[in-house]
Amino acid sequence: MLEQLTTVLRNYKSDDSLQVAETTTFEELSLDSLDVVQLIMDIEEEFGVTIELDKSMKDVGSLLTVIAAAKS
Amino acid sequence: MLKTVLCDLLDIKYPIFQGGMAWISDAELASAVSDAGGIGIIAAGNSPAEHVLNEIKKIKKMTDRPFGVNVMLMSRYAHEVAQVAADEKVKIIVTGAGNPAKHMKMWTEYGAKVIPVVPSVALAKLMERCGASAVIAEGGEAGGHVGDITTMALVPQVCDAVKIPVIAAGGIGDGRGIAAALMLGACGVQVGTRFLTAMECVVHENYKNMVLKAKDIDTLFAGKRVGHPIRALKNNFVREYLKKEYDSSVSDEELLKFGEGRFKLAAVDGDIKEGCFLAGQIAGIVNREQSAKEIIEEMFAQAEEILNGAKKFYE
Repeated sequence: MLEQLTTVLRNYKSDDSLQVAETTTFEELSLDSLDVVQLIMDIEEEFGVTIELDKSMKDVGSLLTVIAAAKS
Repeated sequence: MLKTVLCDLLDIKYPIFQGGMAWISDAELASAVSDAGGIGIIAAGNSPAEHVLNEIKKIKKMTDRPFGVNVMLMSRYAHEVAQVAADEKVKIIVTGAGNPAKHMKMWTEYGAKVIPVVPSVALAKLMERCGASAVIAEGGEAGGHVGDITTMALVPQVCDAVKIPVIAAGGIGDGRGIAAALMLGACGVQVGTRFLTAMECVVHENYKNMVLKAKDIDTLFAGKRVGHPIRALKNNFVREYLKKEYDSSVSDEELLKFGEGRFKLAAVDGDIKEGCFLAGQIAGIVNREQSAKEIIEEMFAQAEEILNGAKKFYE
């Protein structure tokens, strides 16, 4: 799932060489709150899920947890 | 007479919201706007819930017309304010500076119309999905907490993205702004800065005078670094803040601390140097004090005249 999410992030950031880990924070990716909302929309489309926006989401790991929960 | 779906949705004569301005939009201003046929809004800002409750009780005695409460989601009291609005069964809830999803159910259950302020298409879509009755697409020309995208660019994109009514905000100060907003696809407008100089607006006289004197170039955009960008009139405080914002030796915490309490200092104390006087770029056309009723009637008369005369462009 990390690989699929990395693809979404690479598209969003227009950066084919972007490397992310579960510990990578939104701040490190230079994503502000509006970017995160847009990104959630892109992720929903890619993964076919509906995600509740949660303020506690601060990094890739927490995003993966939310996606996994939405898929189950 | 100019009429849009917003008039039927909210049972109002004019499709206009008075912006929720912290420390400024109280029961007195909001009731005047509601009585004049628009939607007056009580701004919760950073106030505790008790203050908001008092204003709600006051306005209920002052007008029988619809009114709303603006819940500022960044406030430490946001949750309590949201609850007070629900307890009082406020029919129109406007939200700003955040995502109101977690409160939506509580408000919509008793039939409130929730109308979030959105600075982007994605957030507008998300709000529609969460059950919003309409959205206020606010461009960066506005005063107060703002996004980057301009009203001219944001409104048509939001209109294309959602099926619920869209209200335009940011840079609208007269009938030309209303006509333009309708042409962009909006069905109503939210206006803040123009109401700052309404006779019923209890803001400090120094604040009113600063707005009345303001020119087109007299506002600044600050606070993006700490994630809470605002637009305010140029003064000593905003200039100092901007210097610190671009100084990497100043931490985010120091910057946030430097900005604390500044809205109240402007609106209540009228401290010309050290207060933060939130206002939009349209301040330059606000040049006299009028009643809320005069402002609204003048704006819509001008909008109707412009729209009626629009045929001249293609004959």
